[in-house]
Amino acid sequence: MKTIGLAKGLLYYYYHVLWKSFFDALEVPYIESTTSTKKIIELGKEKCIDEACLSMKIFLGHVEYLKDKCDMILIPRIYSIEKKEQVCTNFNALYDLIRNLYPTLTLLNYNVDVKHHHKEKEAFIKMGKQLGFSTSKSYHAYKLAKQKEQRYFKQLEKSGEKKLKTKKTKILLLGHPYNLQDEMIGKRIYNYLKEKNIEIIYSYEMPKDKVNEEVQKISPKVHWTMNKQLLASFVYFKDSVDGTILITSFPCGPDSLTNEMILRKRGKSKVLLLTFEDLNSDIAIITRLESFLDMLKGGIHL
Amino acid sequence: MKGYLGLDIGSISTKGVIIDEKKNILASSYLWTEGNPVQAVKKVLVELEEKIKDRKIKILGVGTTGSARKLIGTMLGACSIKNEITAHAIGTLSKYPTVKTILEIGGQDSKIILLEDGMVTDYAMNTLCAAGTGSFLSSQAKRLGIDVKDFGKIALSSKNPTSIAARCTVFAESDLVHKIQMGYEKKDIIAGLCYSVASNYLNNVAKGKKIKGPILFQGGVSKNIGVKKAFEDLLKTEVITDKNGHLMGALGSAILAKKNSKNEVFDFSLKDAIFETNGIECKGCENHCEVIVVKKDGKKIDAWGNRCEKGMIKI
Repeated sequence: MKTIGLAKGLLYYYYHVLWKSFFDALEVPYIESTTSTKKIIELGKEKCIDEACLSMKIFLGHVEYLKDKCDMILIPRIYSIEKKEQVCTNFNALYDLIRNLYPTLTLLNYNVDVKHHHKEKEAFIKMGKQLGFSTSKSYHAYKLAKQKEQRYFKQLEKSGEKKLKTKKTKILLLGHPYNLQDEMIGKRIYNYLKEKNIEIIYSYEMPKDKVNEEVQKISPKVHWTMNKQLLASFVYFKDSVDGTILITSFPCGPDSLTNEMILRKRGKSKVLLLTFEDLNSDIAIITRLESFLDMLKGGIHL
Repeated sequence: MKGYLGLDIGSISTKGVIIDEKKNILASSYLWTEGNPVQAVKKVLVELEEKIKDRKIKILGVGTTGSARKLIGTMLGACSIKNEITAHAIGTLSKYPTVKTILEIGGQDSKIILLEDGMVTDYAMNTLCAAGTGSFLSSQAKRLGIDVKDFGKIALSSKNPTSIAARCTVFAESDLVHKIQMGYEKKDIIAGLCYSVASNYLNNVAKGKKIKGPILFQGGVSKNIGVKKAFEDLLKTEVITDKNGHLMGALGSAILAKKNSKNEVFDFSLKDAIFETNGIECKGCENHCEVIVVKKDGKKIDAWGNRCEKGMIKI
């Protein structure tokens, strides 16, 4: 059996439960790349154009890491996951980009484009076909994986609810999961805040079914699906947390729009924007985090 | 008499103050960092010691702030190591209890702090880019062949400031060269630069913030009267600059040192100790963390920068 490689970057953090459960159900072996390191960023930078965002560079670094360790790499192409919306153009281009960068590498196709009638289910059936499974077998595995994913979402929702109940200072980390969970980006913030005994709520720990309803309160029409979720999460959590930290990788297009919207419409909520490039020194981040925490405490009383 | 020492070690300049128990400044020192914070702090200590030597003052606490706060704080055994925002707010509040807005432009950072009833309610800092900060002004001054200290005076003599794009340092440079070659007068270009620094600040760092008076303008750039005037014109209100405006961070950290004092007497002879710092790239894993090791008289006193135990250095 051929081994599939999963690069830990970008869409991996949205779909890893679904993908892994699907491969588990079909008993296909897979490996994941390591957590991000400085080396991974270096590898990615060599392959990537300068203008791409840090997260893209990290993703390419992971592909570079994986390329000799497995037989094929799952590279998703996602254009739209909701009918009248779109996702980041990097996700549209990812498949073609990798195919051109690595002409000899075998890629596992995964194409979702709801706007043009390519549904997620079909993507999985086609992926199963490429791996040599019948339609019914793939469909069955997809259904199982989908159930597991639902349970995972419920878990996230519950953990969010539980965290809101603590009496500790609560901070919402708002950003794409691939930034929040990356060792070189969000984990640095997480480690600092954990040390200061702060309860950290991730923006994706909100009920998925409330996204469309919540986002209406801030903007009636958001074209970017993933950023719609971020806006909704901000509205959903803003009154129950003490502060929000926006984490974004430079230069993210959709984020530049929605971060601005949050900053303008935040009302009385405290918001800190942290932008990550590949050369952020820890001291610059800590200066900003430390002063943010001082502010949440209401200043130091003398 | 009891005293407390506050140090603000910035990228461009190093500031030091000694205060008494009533937060009055007894002595101060202000000089260039010149890329060597350790040496600069030693010089500041020499100056401060000289200024207070006749007045039996016991220094009971040291506070540091600024981008080299950790390094210097470790070296001097500081009891308070705090970020610039908090230090500036505390320092300024001790002199101007009613201040509502602090505009601060330093060497590589620019920030705005909003206060309400003596508490920080909001602040912002430049994110990635250092356009429109002190280092930008000094490099442009060099290009025009004038001393950055004369910048403000020359700017005020202009009646017709040239407009210069200051969104990005690189664009500003090419715009500047272009304007020089077109034949604009030097003083108009300089005044234009001051305006572009102020408007760049208001459009970036201070964007969306409600700027209410009293407004204080601080940081090294506040010494430039050209930029101060530009702020006043753009905000259409009075902007206060204090003659000690550059010392507010140091003052704040001295106050913090007073608050956190462990009542141990600080010994000025520490300035004669030999401090060495070196950066080691840890090869423990692929992160290649840069670990900074500080040695005092050849003995390791602290190390930091490692992300995991592999890079831990035994002291």
